[in-house]
Parts: sequence; structure tokens; C-alpha cells
Amino acid sequence: MYSTELFVQTFISGVMIGVLYALMALGITFIYSIMRMINWAMGEFYMVGSYLQYMLVVGLLGTDLWWLAIPLSMAGVFAMGVVVQWGLLKPVFTRPPESRDDYATVVTLALLLFLRSVATGLAGPYQFTPGSNLPVIMVGPMPLAGARVAAFLFALAALGLFYVLLRYTWYGLALRATAQSRVGVQTAGIDVLAVDRIAFGIGVALAGLAGALLAPVFLVYPTNGLITTMKGFEIVVIGGLGSIPGALVAGLLLGLIESFGAAFIDSSYQNVYGFILVLAVLALRPSGLFGERGREA
Amino acid sequence: MRQREFWLGGALVAGVLASALAIGAPAQAADDVTIGLVVPLSPPGDPAGGQLIRRGAEMGVDAVNAAGGILGGRKIKLSVQDSQGRPEAGVAAYRRLVSEDKAVAVTGFFHSSVALAVNEVAKEMGVPTLSLQASAADITAKHYDIAFRTHAVDPVRVGAWMELIKKKNFKRISIIAETTDYGIGLSEEVIKQNKDEKAGLDIQKITFDRAVTDLTPQLLQIKAFKPDLVINIGVGQPADLIIDQATTIGLFPATPMLFSYDAPVRPQYWQLHPKNGDSMYFVAYYSPKSVLSEIGQTFSKAYQEKYKEDPVYGGLNGYGAIMILTQAMQAAGSTDPKALIKALEAGSFKSWPGNPVTFPRAEGVYWHNGSAPVLILQYTKPMQDWKEAEVVVEYAPPAAK
Repeated sequence: MYSTELFVQTFISGVMIGVLYALMALGITFIYSIMRMINWAMGEFYMVGSYLQYMLVVGLLGTDLWWLAIPLSMAGVFAMGVVVQWGLLKPVFTRPPESRDDYATVVTLALLLFLRSVATGLAGPYQFTPGSNLPVIMVGPMPLAGARVAAFLFALAALGLFYVLLRYTWYGLALRATAQSRVGVQTAGIDVLAVDRIAFGIGVALAGLAGALLAPVFLVYPTNGLITTMKGFEIVVIGGLGSIPGALVAGLLLGLIESFGAAFIDSSYQNVYGFILVLAVLALRPSGLFGERGREA
Repeated sequence: MRQREFWLGGALVAGVLASALAIGAPAQAADDVTIGLVVPLSPPGDPAGGQLIRRGAEMGVDAVNAAGGILGGRKIKLSVQDSQGRPEAGVAAYRRLVSEDKAVAVTGFFHSSVALAVNEVAKEMGVPTLSLQASAADITAKHYDIAFRTHAVDPVRVGAWMELIKKKNFKRISIIAETTDYGIGLSEEVIKQNKDEKAGLDIQKITFDRAVTDLTPQLLQIKAFKPDLVINIGVGQPADLIIDQATTIGLFPATPMLFSYDAPVRPQYWQLHPKNGDSMYFVAYYSPKSVLSEIGQTFSKAYQEKYKEDPVYGGLNGYGAIMILTQAMQAAGSTDPKALIKALEAGSFKSWPGNPVTFPRAEGVYWHNGSAPVLILQYTKPMQDWKEAEVVVEYAPPAAK
């Protein structure tokens, strides 16, 4: 009944969306690994990235220069993240840590509602697309939108760059050290709040990058970050909170399980397959596939 | 003694608080008549659809108030609530409108799932609903006293689709439908009419969750089925994603697609699909060839002046709803919901279509249903004005019994 071609096409479709899922989740897990807080407004930074991409392409650069709009959108979201960390989150981290999680949750949830309302107020509830001039590209037997292939390649490049930054730069060393022990790095003379600021900026910029890349594929509207947040947290649970390789592997797993489930079992339950995977991982390995048991300083 | 003082003191404090709250409450003219409007103004609903209805309803309220109001000069007030296309949000909105805003009727209702859920609450609370763009059969087929509608029901809409299928000699039909009352209701109606009419169609039915953004796996299955026609039963963002993703995998426009409602007449359609929107078949309830009443012509002119674009069905129906409800209140001589329901059932109302609208206690889905004719249009070139789209099918609903 099902052809090999459909199987291969479904596999390619799953891998493509999986890498993009991983990019969405990476910011959440990165911010958690450094700051030990969950940013519930992550999807809204994705949304801001998609609006910036739309505005830059349609209002300033034109469709041919979409690639130039990508880093600009990412930089805009990075700057916004730095301001948010400085204005809203830093005060939480300068106080005793007892209620830090609660404060961070309230602040980021409020930010979520605020950003969504601002987007609706300024641009209305409508959908937009920056459009794309890229042709359809054949990947094996699977025709793929040029914008989606570009998003996939950009995502891979961003993941690679992110790895290099973490592994081979002084700042990466500081970030990794902070992830291991916030108290320890302070004894080495590192300003942990400054590290937080950069980490938060990078984390939300990854979400903004995903938003900018996927703007022509999944459209631009005020609540487009909702799916990102949902998928992002699924991936973080599957891969392990704070684990960057875990985010990549879990993103791929989620993309594949959703695609194959929808194509070969029942497409009505496409979102359910991911949750089944989450439940299975929680039952068998509660800390996630690549997660480690937490150690509080 | 102490206990008595405690209760007396408590009563005094409660009295002062109640007075303070009453003084602090927003001022509302005692004789204003509130009509509620429940429409999707944010995703996952179809916000563009909701906005169009809202524009029409607001202009209707302005027109009635400018003409002196109703029942001896009482002004109409429109209270707008966002359903987000979610049944639970729609129910909460209806409760708020009836309990807090004292709405005497609630209209709007773009998504069938919202209208169905609200009607279950409305039959207990007694304030009538007038659905404007929700097509599920059960909205009126349950024969609730409070449920009224001015929109084509599922059997009528699918009747028009079957006309198209017959006319174009399509044999293999793929339906891609969202898992809502709207999507499931329409897809099951296609299967039912195929069986009842012994049309002999080979039908593939694929359903999807509205929250899914990557519909490629579903569309790959459809492509493998090699259909003659794809019926796109998504609303809002999923329907647009289906068009783009079907284009990418080479399914559309090689295989014709039928859009299940009138979204392609909106200006946003060509903004979203500038290169792949032509050749689309789509349902519409109004075209420039349709005969408009005097009310419809007045609205059309005012709308063009205000919004610098032609009105579409959602706006016309929003405007018409206010006209119908206010005429019914005048006929009832009251804003009491029970009197309003009786007036709606007994009266004949001027709205935007050429013929008057009635809500008879008819059989089956035609209960309390003033249905507009259904058209199927087709774009024949990119960026085409919807008014120039080819009218492929004109389908009149069967007479209500």
C-alpha cells in the first residue's frame, strides 16, 4: 500500500523539520543551562524574529536580499534579549535565590503576554509572509521549498557556529564554566551577570533566527511562537534539560516520529506522537536522553 | 452580643463596598441596548474572518444609531469578544456578554465548534445566538429555540461542491480536513452525499490537528492517491499552509484545489499567495452579480468609502445581523430575549441579499436558518480581483419545509 518513495519522502521531511525543531529548542536549553531558569516567552522571541524578517524584506531590502535580513533580524532579537535581561531578569538574579524560579516564571510569562499583545496591536491579527524567490529544490525524490532548504542549511550552520563558539572561544569557556557552577566562575573573577546577559541574548537570538528563517514557510502572525514553545519544551524534556546534543537528537527524533506517525498511522494525531515520546522518555529516563541529574550549588 | 456586633459590622462593610463598587462601575446609559459579538480575532481562529464580520457589525450599529436608534430612541451598543476560534473561549465570551454586559442577543460565530459549544450554554441562559459564518449542521439541526443562523449549512455547501465535481467530471477526491466540527462535519457530509446520490466517487479523507504547521506528510499521502480534486477544509493559517506546501510538493496547481470557504476573496489572499493562488476554486456567498437589497447597496457604498476596498460576505453578514436583530426588537417592541426569539421566528427581515430573510421552524438543518445561495468561483489568473473570478457554480439551497 505504501511505496518506498513515500517512505523516503517522509524521512526527508522528518529530518528537515527535526533540525528546525532543534534550533527552536536550543535557545531554551541553553538559557536554562546557564541561568537555571526557563524562559516561557521563548516563542515570542521567535515571533519577533519572524516579524523583523518580514519588515526588513518587505519594507527595506526586498525578497532578493532575504539572506541579509536573517542576521539583522537575529541581531535585533539579540539586542532585545540583552535589554530584557538587563531590565527585567537581572534584578531577579541580584536577590537571594530562594524564589528565583518563581520570579523568572512570572516575569517571562508577563513578557509573553506583553509581546503578543504588542504584535496584535501594531500589526493586527493577520498573517503575513515575506515571500521567497528561491526555487523548489529536489532532495532525492522529495521536492522541497527553497526557503525550507535555506532554513535547514542556515540552521545547521548556526548549530555549527554555536558549537564552535562554545568549544573554542574564551567566551564559550566562560559560558560552559557558568553552566557548571555559577559560584565557581565568580571565584575566577568572571562577572556572572554579564555572562547571563550574553547567554540570554544568544538564547533568544537562536529563537529569533528560527523565526526569521521560517517566516516564509510557516507565516508571520502574533501567536506563531506558540508551536515553537510547545515543540521546544517537548524536545528539551526528551533530550534532557540543559543538554545541547540532546536538543539536536531530540529535535530529529520528534520530527521523524511526527512525520512517520502522520504518514503511516493516523495524521489526526500528529501532535500526539511527540507527547507519547515525551511520556516514554520520562518513564524510562526521567532526566532525558542526554540529561544529567541536577546539582545545585 | 459580640457575635451580633460582628455580623452587623460585616454587613456595614459589605454595604459600603457594594456602594463603592456601584459608583466605580463604568457608566452605561440605562437605555442602551447591548448586542454581543463573538468572533475570532486571534489565531488559532481565523482573525481576518472575525475582523470582517466586526467591521460590518460596527457599521451596522453606527447606521442604526445615526437613524435614531430603536424602540423610541434607545442606542445600540456592540460588545465585542474574541473567541480565538476555541470553543471554551467562545463559551466564556458568551457568558460574559450575557451576565456582565447584559447582551440581549449574541451574534458573530465564525467557527462551527464555537457556535456549537455556545449554543449548549445559550439554551440554558436563554439569550439568542445568530451565527453568521458557522456551517455545521447541528448548529440549527438540534432545533434549539435560541439558535438562529444566516449562513449556508453543511449540506448546502457540499451540495455546491458536488455540483462542481459533477460538472468537471472529477472521480477521485482527496479531502484534507482539520479535526474540528467544521472539518469533520463537512468531510462526512461529502461522504454521505456521495453515498446518497450514488455518485461513485473514490474519496480519500485525511484529517489534521489545527496546531500542526508542517502538513507535508499528509499532502504526500494525498499526492500518492493521485486525486482529480483536493478539497482544502482548513480555516485560517492551516488552509494557507496547505496551499503553499501542496505547491511545493507539486500537488497544486497540477491537481485542482477547492478552498472550503470564501477566504480567497479577502485582500490578504494574494498577499500570501502571489505566485500560487490562481486556478483555485473557492466557495463564495456573494459576487458582484448577486442582487443586493437597498440595505446592501447602502452598506457597500459606505464600506468602500471607509475601508477603500469592496465589502465581502463577512462584512455584509455582520452588517445584516445588526439590521435583522434591531428589526426584530422593533417588531417585538421589547429587548426581552424571549420576545426577540418569537419576533425572529415570525418576521421577515430586510438584510443585504435581494430577498428578505426569514427564520422558519423548518425541518432538519433548515430550522431557524436564513441561508444565502452558494457560489463556487475560480481564479483564472494571478492577482485577479475576486470580482472578476469566474462563477463556476451557482447553487440555490433547497426550499425549507
